[in-house]
Amino acid sequence: MSEDQDKFIADVVEKALQGDMDAINNIEDRVTRSKAKAALVKAKREAKAAATEDTSKSEESKTEESAPVEKSLSEKVAACLNEKFPNSLESEDVNGHIQMKDKNWFEIAQYLRDNLDFLFDSLQCVTGYDFGENEDLEVRYNLHSMTHNHAIEIRIKTDRNNPKVPSVEQVWRIGDWFERETYDMYGIEFEGHSNMTRILCPEDWAGWPLRKDYETQESYHGIVVQKVKDGWE
Amino acid sequence: MGILENRFQDNVVVASMDKLLGWARSTSPWFFQFGLACCAIEMMATAASRYDLMRIGMIPRSSPRQADVMIVAGTVTMKMSLRVKKLYEQMADPKYVIAMGSCATSGGPYWQHGYHVLKGVDLVVPVDVYIPGCPPRPEALIEGLLKLQEKIQADRPLTKKIA
Repeated sequence: MSEDQDKFIADVVEKALQGDMDAINNIEDRVTRSKAKAALVKAKREAKAAATEDTSKSEESKTEESAPVEKSLSEKVAACLNEKFPNSLESEDVNGHIQMKDKNWFEIAQYLRDNLDFLFDSLQCVTGYDFGENEDLEVRYNLHSMTHNHAIEIRIKTDRNNPKVPSVEQVWRIGDWFERETYDMYGIEFEGHSNMTRILCPEDWAGWPLRKDYETQESYHGIVVQKVKDGWE
Repeated sequence: MGILENRFQDNVVVASMDKLLGWARSTSPWFFQFGLACCAIEMMATAASRYDLMRIGMIPRSSPRQADVMIVAGTVTMKMSLRVKKLYEQMADPKYVIAMGSCATSGGPYWQHGYHVLKGVDLVVPVDVYIPGCPPRPEALIEGLLKLQEKIQADRPLTKKIA
């Protein structure tokens, strides 16, 4: 009897799992019906646990496989530039930023702005950098895409004694003032800029204030710039 | 007032011309607002209703030609110093200058390393009153203005100066 009952319950549960709840509900014997329902709940729980185990396993294996394939944005851009503009990168090493040569910078900037994969439509900052005496100067561009919401940094080194970098004023209009400020503070000339003059300091200011070897001038229009400050510290 | 005393009716006040001029000048020194940095905020607060500079007869003016006092409120850069001088020269005599805050008096926090900051506005224009502070509170500014009024009042414009 009990063997028959067990077989019957297993049958009904099987049916219920496939969507036919009437098979259980139509059992006339109350005890058998409750046994069948309990068996159904158990079966469902087991099925669920098995399913989650399956998915977690498959996810793990997925991340393990795809991790080395996934590239950072800088690497993608660098690879793309290397293909499109050979010899434009200073080094293949991409460590959070792209080190470039100044060759073709204007065309590359246009490409980065217009390429649908990157769409860097916003030049967020242009910074100068001084590596110290007898070392190079550097210009750093921070690009951001409003559409894709991603950003990269591009660095271009230039000679200290004759610092010249192509201007991107015509690519991003904000570059106008950014480049003038960089020129004002570091003396880096941006070739092709429509108005390469100082922006903050007076036009007749001598020297480039943010260079490491800058020396404060002694007087400006007859006004003495005090250098010796005794009895103050 | 010696012989003039009690010779006129009560609604007539007798004073020397010199003194009268000094009094008139000192009670309405309109100031040229010269907001260059954070001190300008304190200057605005002083002129606003809580401290109410109108009590001592001072109104901010935006043109050097209408002003008697120039309150240099803030950091004066080298580039600005030439303009400060030019604006001072455009003011009508008699004119006075107040250096408000550390920057205007001595260069303040830019004393040591500020390559572009004028180390005190007195290198460019003559200063009558210095007000220390970074920035000075409105009370301090008012005290400075009262000191300036004392100074103006002590002026005797008609008296021949002995060299």
